[in-house]
Amino acid sequence: MHKQSRIKAYARFLGASFSANFLAVIEYRANFLLQVFGMMLNNGAFALFWGVLLGRTGGIGGYDFTDVMIVWAITSSAFGLAHVVFGNIRNLGRIIMQGELDVYLLQPKDVFLNVLASKTIVSAWGDLAYGLVVVALLPRFDVQRLALFCVLTATGAVIFASTFAAAESLAFFLGNSQAISSALSEFLLSFSLYPETIFDKGMRWLFYTILPSGFIAFVPLAVYKSLDWRRVPVLIFVAVLYAGLSYAFFRAGLRRYESGNQMGARV
Amino acid sequence: MSHTFGAYAFAVGRKYGLAGATGLKTRLAYLGNYAGSILTYGLFVFVFSRIWTAVFESKAGATGFIAGYDRATAIWYFIVAEISVFGFGRFFWRLAEDVKSGQVSYLLGRPYSFVGFHFAESMGPALVDALIFLAEGYLLGTLLAGPPAHFEPGRAAALILSLLLAGSLQFFLQFAIAMTAFWIEENAAFFWIFQKFALIVGTLLPIEFLPARAQAAAACTPFPSLSYAPARIAVAAGIPEGLRLVSVQIAWLLGAILLCEAVYRLARKNLSVNGG
Amino acid sequence: MRIIEAKGLKKTFRTKVKPEGFLAGLKSLTNPQFRQVEAVKGVSFQVEEGEIVAFLGPNGAGKSTTIKMLTGILAPSSGSASVLGLDPQRDRTRLAMQIGAVFGQRSQLWFHLPPADSFRLLGAIYEIEPGALKRRQAELVERFGIGPYMDIPVRKLSLGERIRCEIAGALMHSPKVLFLDEPTIGLDVVAKREVRALLEEAARTDGATVFLTSHDIGDIEKVCKRALIIHHGEVVVDESMKDLKHRALARKYIGVKYAEPVRFELPGIVPTKTKLEGGASVESSAGAFTQASYVVDTRSHRLPELIRALAEQGEILDLTVEDEPLENIIASIFAARTGAEACDAARPVAEPAGGGA
Repeated sequence: MHKQSRIKAYARFLGASFSANFLAVIEYRANFLLQVFGMMLNNGAFALFWGVLLGRTGGIGGYDFTDVMIVWAITSSAFGLAHVVFGNIRNLGRIIMQGELDVYLLQPKDVFLNVLASKTIVSAWGDLAYGLVVVALLPRFDVQRLALFCVLTATGAVIFASTFAAAESLAFFLGNSQAISSALSEFLLSFSLYPETIFDKGMRWLFYTILPSGFIAFVPLAVYKSLDWRRVPVLIFVAVLYAGLSYAFFRAGLRRYESGNQMGARV
Repeated sequence: MSHTFGAYAFAVGRKYGLAGATGLKTRLAYLGNYAGSILTYGLFVFVFSRIWTAVFESKAGATGFIAGYDRATAIWYFIVAEISVFGFGRFFWRLAEDVKSGQVSYLLGRPYSFVGFHFAESMGPALVDALIFLAEGYLLGTLLAGPPAHFEPGRAAALILSLLLAGSLQFFLQFAIAMTAFWIEENAAFFWIFQKFALIVGTLLPIEFLPARAQAAAACTPFPSLSYAPARIAVAAGIPEGLRLVSVQIAWLLGAILLCEAVYRLARKNLSVNGG
Repeated sequence: MRIIEAKGLKKTFRTKVKPEGFLAGLKSLTNPQFRQVEAVKGVSFQVEEGEIVAFLGPNGAGKSTTIKMLTGILAPSSGSASVLGLDPQRDRTRLAMQIGAVFGQRSQLWFHLPPADSFRLLGAIYEIEPGALKRRQAELVERFGIGPYMDIPVRKLSLGERIRCEIAGALMHSPKVLFLDEPTIGLDVVAKREVRALLEEAARTDGATVFLTSHDIGDIEKVCKRALIIHHGEVVVDESMKDLKHRALARKYIGVKYAEPVRFELPGIVPTKTKLEGGASVESSAGAFTQASYVVDTRSHRLPELIRALAEQGEILDLTVEDEPLENIIASIFAARTGAEACDAARPVAEPAGGGA
């Protein structure tokens, strides 16, 4: 009974956070549309690049144009969703460094979720929309594919958010770790956008561990193409695993924060 | 006569030199910011080297050549093309902000060319950036694609010249777009469109890869002079082609400078009428 | 129940010593040196329900650190804190449900949204049932007079309007304890008065215990009933406002204004200031004045006799007798260089001769 009301309370809280975020963003309608447009333009340029290149070469590393577009769409939407719902993931390091977690510690909600959910990134809505638009335009799109795409976007978003948050949580331990977390984030995003097979077999173990492009984009590509719902529970399990690890890492850092002895503690 | 001209030249040179040096000093003070773009550049180069490797391992690359490029050439092309983007590709933001924030009215009162001042201030640090990316690109290129083929001092000199022209062209084009802020405040979209065209036309892919109609259309735009020209000179162009590329760059550069001055005059007229 | 109970709260920070010079910098990579900073050296006090407590101290005294330990943000090095019977560290979330905070420059309201939207979100965070939230919000909006601002984005409100919304937000979930840090900073005189009245009312009507940190003497004098002064990491004063002001009774500030210039000297007292205002008919005799100010230690000079003596000198137009301003007392406490010195500065003076005024 108690557990159920907790879940309800958190559902209400996240819903209210999301709605507040959305309203804050819509407040500047013109800017919102501009950012969405900008992101779609950016992604579109790369789609054009792939179209031209693959039109010339007919496919590389076992990926044809449709494959590349699907990967880009899933990654784009997953990245977008992660930053729409948990817009503070990239700011977490800075928030930790500047002692701004205090406000969240004063509130009776889990600090991790609270701080991450209290912002939305405007341009990320463009990324989210882009992926949807692209898959809708690809051949053989139907309701089932739409549902599958949504699920894959959700799992990808959770994995993105977890990895970025964990990278940013290094700030608890290393002080100004902005360089490392930015690097990690860049790598993860880049590798998730390009065909897995162009990279050495030696590198690919990375994609299933600290730079989980494999779980965000590559496995979902296969799942999406073959409509293989059986592998979806695996992806959900992996997403939950990454989330759990990221959460635990953050909590460990938070204990350090509360002891006041983190690097560069503001006395 | 020559005495006063010399004094004038000296004064002008000092004014702009100082502006450039100040911009440079500011840039060097924030060395930490470099780490980010150096990493991004390196990452990009790496990823595209893998893409080209995969391309030439596919059926289409069986002959070892596509559109006149082999694997190493394509990778070196990309390395040089991206220097233009990373070194000279983001003037717009600072310029637009200066224009919007009303720095303009403050600067309009100063005794030198509005456009010229900004050119000096922006190019100083940009040259340092470009040099760093050039060095990084050379290192990565040698690692990933082997030492650059036909690399003679003549070619190197031509490359430097072409990059300087490309960078200057980048500046004036971006400045012209930034100045639209005098009329339309939210002008970021214009720059984004410019950026994407620059990306597609000659940066991500050599122009030879575009469909024939697109190539013809591109030739009528300044975009090939931004990345394609220096990259082509670096990897493949012989002397006649190199000369042609550079003259086209110079032509577009002059046109862009005139455009900037024209827009600036127009804006000034508007300002004095509307009161900024 | 004791609302807040602090027992021997201690907090020591370990900070890395920043090395000077290049070689020292290298050395510090492998063998970093640490410095212990005792921010709070052992603080104990109790606060009962419904009290309005002023928590004062100069910058760096350990105020923020203590509050952070009470609210669960920081873990104490040793000692214990208990708020509403809960351990702020262990039961942070449970405690957070029952406390409210208005912390300095950190706002709980969303900058780009109207307060109404922030209140809705706070309702979700504090799990206030929607019907109850509506009622509570209506009540607070009326009390705080923020009705006209409810649909205006917070960024467009004036500071005074924002602070009122901020405090209303902090009270939305009817907390039993309200922690405030510099709530009136930057406000104009009228706004300050409004905020103080609202805080007093909150304590009265909602039965909240108020723990207020401020540098504004007015806040302290007008709102708080009790003062806790912390300095150099220790509590140096812990008593009611009345008692604190009583320390001032030993010193009186007297100002007297005469109709005609007078010249006199009182035994053992030298005026701090004299002024001569007069027409040309007055001979410029040195030592004559129409106005004089005195600072009198009533332990050595009895007030009634002093006043009688002043009255005998001439026709008095105006006479003022004031207590030592609270600000001075507190300033002298703050100026002390050690905890012991501060305690001394705060020690009550011996009873004035003859029972005083």
